[in-house]
Amino acid sequence: MPEKKIKYLSKEWADEVTRRCKKELTPEKMKHITSSMLTINTNCPGSKTKAVYYTLKNGVVESVSIVEAPLPKAEFSITAEYDMFAKISKAEVKARSALMSGKMVLKGNLVKALTLSPTVDRLNEVIAKIPTEF
Amino acid sequence: MPTKKLAKDDPYFIDFPKRIKSIQKEMAANGIDIYLGSRLRTLSWTLDAFCPWRSFIVIPPEGLPTVITFVIDAARVADESWLDQDHILGYGPMGGQDQVSLLSMLIKPYLKGGKGIIGMETGMGNYLPEGHLTLFEFVMLKAVMPKATFKNAHDIVDKLALIKDQGTINRFREASRIVDIGHKAVYDSIKKGGYKTMTETEIAGLAAYAMRKAGSEWEWSFTGGNEIASGYRTGLAAGACTPASRRKLKLGEPLMVDLHAMFRLGLGDHSHNYFLGKATKRQLWHAQNFVDLMHRCLKSYKAGISPTKLADDMLGFAEERGFQDYLVPGFEHGIGMMGDEWRIGLNDGPFDYWTNPEHEYKKDEMLICAVQYACPEENIGFRYENPILIMEKGCEAMSKFPLSVDVV
Repeated sequence: MPEKKIKYLSKEWADEVTRRCKKELTPEKMKHITSSMLTINTNCPGSKTKAVYYTLKNGVVESVSIVEAPLPKAEFSITAEYDMFAKISKAEVKARSALMSGKMVLKGNLVKALTLSPTVDRLNEVIAKIPTEF
Repeated sequence: MPTKKLAKDDPYFIDFPKRIKSIQKEMAANGIDIYLGSRLRTLSWTLDAFCPWRSFIVIPPEGLPTVITFVIDAARVADESWLDQDHILGYGPMGGQDQVSLLSMLIKPYLKGGKGIIGMETGMGNYLPEGHLTLFEFVMLKAVMPKATFKNAHDIVDKLALIKDQGTINRFREASRIVDIGHKAVYDSIKKGGYKTMTETEIAGLAAYAMRKAGSEWEWSFTGGNEIASGYRTGLAAGACTPASRRKLKLGEPLMVDLHAMFRLGLGDHSHNYFLGKATKRQLWHAQNFVDLMHRCLKSYKAGISPTKLADDMLGFAEERGFQDYLVPGFEHGIGMMGDEWRIGLNDGPFDYWTNPEHEYKKDEMLICAVQYACPEENIGFRYENPILIMEKGCEAMSKFPLSVDVV
């Protein structure tokens, strides 16, 4: 029986991300980092902008929530079109190439971002396993 | 060790926050809303870190500045600078992280309604790594901040950096002490026929090794590090730039050794001259001219003298002694922390971005006393360089290696 798909950027999806991250990502795997990150999806269906807000404390993914304007402050923000995030989630495009091509915009300290990128990759690996409907 | 860890009573301490505040005061006086520095000299003077990659400093009207540099070097710059890593950002080829995106992100909050005056550093120079804002950078920044006005403002930093503080002076003294160690190593290696199997590059290398052992950070000069010339290369017409070559040192030829050391962005720069094995009467006549000229030159530097006054006297002396044909008619170049090289004083002379010949030296200015004696037809030449500190009634020559032309 096919696995039930969860709608991307829904509260249910965010809850599932939180649940899986807490279960699969140990503080050691997440290098005990404390940070916050927004992935800002522009041109979502309905022409809205929606963002996923992640907070991490001492390597534990504390919360994942869907937010709209006004967006909370975060140490890092990554902005791209909804379709681009969808392609990245479906592994059709690599996040690195989206950044290098300018189709994705990072705000925040690049040196820190590069240091944290392996841990963010681990987070993305967990998210990619969630059956998602775009 | 980064300066941020230096105590105030450390001889090499420089009050960098005070420097930033002095720039901000001048910005306010000149109606500049935000200062965009790009020159190597500005980065050294404000950051206390060497920035070999294209870098920018954005100085707001108050508070701490932020620097952007190539991402591969940002952590190292932050480690060495007094600024923390939140104020030293890396740029790279990524969305939102390229130079223009980061600079506009840092500058825009200080432009009300997008309008305001951005102080920039542009101009012309004979020093390649000067770091003026490029036309492309300007066009790109103007495109993202179209209502802003860009105003050339490098004079702010140039004026403030002109008179050297005690920490800077002490750094130059230490760099010069290290250069003297390099000279001693060269002398010890070439004396008693030691030069016979050597090349110019070998001389440059052994001096570099001795100076690095003594704590030099690098042979800072963009003219190929340690400049070594032998034989005809010492006397190239009007020449004063001789990156070491693979030329073998030969009996009876002149050898010019121009060494460079850096200590906490303070610069050592001293030349010494030799004859290898033997010298003819004519060669010794040239050498005596050079040594006498240099003694006279070093006695002349003091507050109140100008490059033109000094040149008149030196050229007059050369004419009296009959060697005016061999003297390159320039006796100094400017100096400051790494990246501040060549022009003396401010950009206020008859030729844009060249030394104003009427510039009157003031107490605690520094310069490199730089003289080139070149006689191409006889394949002979000598060079003198030494950082000097202008004092009320004289000058301090920082390298103490004895002034002479030695037959080794």
